[in-house]
Formats: sequence, structure tokens, C-alpha cells
Amino acid sequence: MKPQPILESSCPLEFNECPILQEVLALRDECSRLTELSITDPLTGYFNYRYMIQSLDQEMERSRRTGLPTGLIMVDLDHFKDVNDSYGHMIGDKALQWACRIWRENIRRIDIPCRYGGEEFAIILPGTDLPQATLLAERLRKVLADSPLPVDGFGLELTASFGVSAFRGQNGATPQRVLDCADHMLIRAKAQGRNRVCSDLQPKRKSPTEVTSDERAALFNTKGNEDFISPCLDGVEDDCQ
Amino acid sequence: MNVNNELLKRPVTVSLTSGKGGVGKTSLTVNLAVALSRSGKRVLIVDGDLGLANVDVLLRIHVERSLRDVIENGDDPLDTIVSVGPNLSVLPASSGVPEMLNLGQREQSLLEGLLRKISSHYDFVLVDTAAGIGQSVLWLNHFADHPIVVVTPDPTSMTDAYALIKVMAREHERNSFHVVVNALSSPKEGEEVFTTLKGVAEKFLQVKLLHLGSVPLDSEVAKAVRRQIPFLKTSPDSRAARAILELSASIEKLSPGSHRGAAQPAPALQPKPLAVSERD
Repeated sequence: MKPQPILESSCPLEFNECPILQEVLALRDECSRLTELSITDPLTGYFNYRYMIQSLDQEMERSRRTGLPTGLIMVDLDHFKDVNDSYGHMIGDKALQWACRIWRENIRRIDIPCRYGGEEFAIILPGTDLPQATLLAERLRKVLADSPLPVDGFGLELTASFGVSAFRGQNGATPQRVLDCADHMLIRAKAQGRNRVCSDLQPKRKSPTEVTSDERAALFNTKGNEDFISPCLDGVEDDCQ
Repeated sequence: MNVNNELLKRPVTVSLTSGKGGVGKTSLTVNLAVALSRSGKRVLIVDGDLGLANVDVLLRIHVERSLRDVIENGDDPLDTIVSVGPNLSVLPASSGVPEMLNLGQREQSLLEGLLRKISSHYDFVLVDTAAGIGQSVLWLNHFADHPIVVVTPDPTSMTDAYALIKVMAREHERNSFHVVVNALSSPKEGEEVFTTLKGVAEKFLQVKLLHLGSVPLDSEVAKAVRRQIPFLKTSPDSRAARAILELSASIEKLSPGSHRGAAQPAPALQPKPLAVSERD
């Protein structure tokens, strides 16, 4: 006899009020609620650190198999301690929720927004290369800077700094290394005055006669735009870590 | 013969060049030269592959002296030229001499002087350049009135041809090139290759490309190369030979370039090794 699928919501023995079925269904709901809880940050609704590491690892593996890059944005709210100190932790929490909501509205459904810890966040961007990830970070920066948090009838201006990296199948790169590079760029954005985006993106220095990827693309009717390097993730930049 | 009186007479100088090796430059040069000489033109082939000469091999001629002896030892260039037919001569180069690929300033001006001088005896000078974009290749293309870029439908050939055009455009201010598409499997393919290359060169380099002609892929060509005889002689009725005759007719219509140096009279003679006038 074939086993009956347990998730059918009618009793296999056709009891009207089957207690076992009720129990199983309740357990199923509880299990999915706990799973959700175990990967979610309760304050912001973003994924938590554990899920972030797991997803980044998974997306990087996808990149290796498909050849599509994985973008990563690290964000840190600027002067967040001042917000907490001046307005209290409740407003601080509201500020975190406010920023997270605004950003979520500006990313795709496939993107994976995570709370890294405190006021720091990471957004994993499947199938996204460095130039596009950098553009997105710039958009997220602007939209937050343009949307003050309403507090008691006035607007509390919030800004954030962004560091961007992308995994393009570089040999030996680990999730930690990709995170470190984005974090390194974030530290640079802070050092350069905050409310800005720093990206591991550098235009290739080219000889004036070198055939560019756009020219190659035009010759063979393919896609161009690979004329950049990632000094941090490519290991060209010594002080990355 | 008084060479000096002929200095101002200008032949049509074309270079055959490709960036990539193995696209058929030398074979095209030799067969075009044969075709031009048959129509009564006086033709000189200059083996511009100064480091790995091949023209002598394709014509099965024995070379005793080469351009290298002229440049390095001051030998008389007219003694170096080998006559291979009533109207057809070859100025051979040396093989296995890597340093010949990178001509210094002094060698360049020597070569320029001697090429101008001996060219004046001919109606057409065909320069077969080396592969790559080395200094000697660029210089010879700069020297020629009409650089002819030889390209095959092979993507690497198209890339290398484009790279060569780009370097010539950027560093030598060349803004027009003739293109010959070689080894075609169909005439349509030739048109496609040329149109693509032309479009990209116009868009990115503002360089004009002119389609001089196309030569189909023909097994007779490889056979002739192995026999070291121009296919125009071994297989005069082959498709490749017919294409060469058309190309040759197009080249006959080219005029002596107004391009920089070519329009000027040859530079003053150097005492050595340009000893042509001394000999006379």
C-alpha cells in the first residue's frame, strides 16, 4: 500500500474530527513559524546573520556554476549612536525599521536583505555584477537621505554609508572574504565622510590602443562592459583585510 | 641608368598586413604580384617579414643576400633584388633574425631611403608585412600608400585586424584602409565580415574601410603553397585565381598615395649604405 501524504488536510481515514490530523497540522505550522523565526531578525524583518552566511555561500556556489556574479552591499547607518543617545532606543529602533522598510521597497524580490548586527546590514544580490550593485547602493543611499524619519512632527534625517563588492568566480574567494571586501569599502566610505558609496570597482587602466570589451562586443555581437577590476577581491589591493 | 632622375616617379606602394599570422598574406601578395606583372606592370615584392621571411619560400627562389645585409652591412639594394619573371622582382628578407623585427630610428630612415629609391623602378610595390603589430609592421604600413588589411572570418583574425587598424589609426593617423577578406566559404560571408569590421571601425575609430575584394577558400591554394608555386600558375581556373585577378584589377586602379612621405621626394642620399648612385 502506498503511504498517504501526511500534508493532505483531510483525514485519510475520513474521520470528521480527526485529532491526529489536527495535531499534525498544528505541528506543521509551528515548524514553519520556528523556521521563519530562526532565520529572521525580529526587529527589522530582515534575515539574520546565520541565514546571511548560508545564503551568501549558496549564491556564490550558484555563481561558480552559472557564471553569473553575486553582488554584496554592506550598509551601516551613520552616527547611529547619536540617534540612540539623543532620542532614546525606541526612536533608534524605529530608525532601523524605517531604513529597512525603505530599502526593502527599493530592492528586487530575489535580493536577500540581512541584518549583520547592530545598525549594520548586508544585502545579497543574486546575478548582479559590481557596476549594477554599485548603482543600486547609490539608489539606496539617496532614497534614505531623502526620507527623514517622522519623529514628533519633525523629520529626523538619516543617512547611511555603503560598501560594495561582487563575487565573479575569483579563485579562492570565500563568503567571509567577499564580506570583508564589502566591509573594507564600507570603512572607506565612513572615512571619506559618510553618506556615500564606496565600491570595489576600478576601471581597468588601458593603453589607448587596446581593443576594449565594447569594441570586441561590437565585432562579435555580444555583451560588453567588463572593463573594470575589483582590486580588493582580486587581491591587488594589499590593505584589503 | 640614372637613378636620381627617377626619384620623383612614384610607384603605387601597398602593404598587405593582418595582425594575425596564417591568414594568407604572403600567398596573396605573391599571387597578386604575378597577376599585376602579367598585365604588364613592373612589380616589386618587398618581403616585409624582416625576421621570418617567407616570400622566397613561396616563390622557390634562392636568396643569397637580404634586406638585412643592406641595412647592416651597407650592401647595394639593387644587388639584393632577385628577378623572378619579366616584370617581377623580390627584395628578400632574412629568416630567423628576431632583431630585424624591431627597427631602430636609424634603420627606419635607412629602410625608408632605400625603399623609396628602388621603388622608383617599379609601377607597383607590394610589401608583405610580418604578423603582429611590431614596430616594423607598423612602420611598413605607415610607409605604404595603401595598407591592405587581410582578414578571414575567423574571430581571432577579425580581432587582430581590428587591433592593427586601431593602432595604425591612433599612432600613425591612418584614417582609411583597404580590406581583403580571405578564405571565405561563401561570398555572403565576405560581405558580413567586411560590414561588421567597417561598422565597428567607423563607430569607435572614425576610420574608413574600403572593401577591395574577397578570396574564397580554395583547396588549390594550399596545394600550390606546398608546391611552392603561385596558384595563379598551378590552377589558373580556380575560384581563388579568378578572385586574385579581380583584386589585381582593383589594385591597378589605386593611385600613388598622397600620404605624407610618399608625396615628398625621396630624402637626400646617405653616403653609406645607400650606395646606389655611387655605383652608377
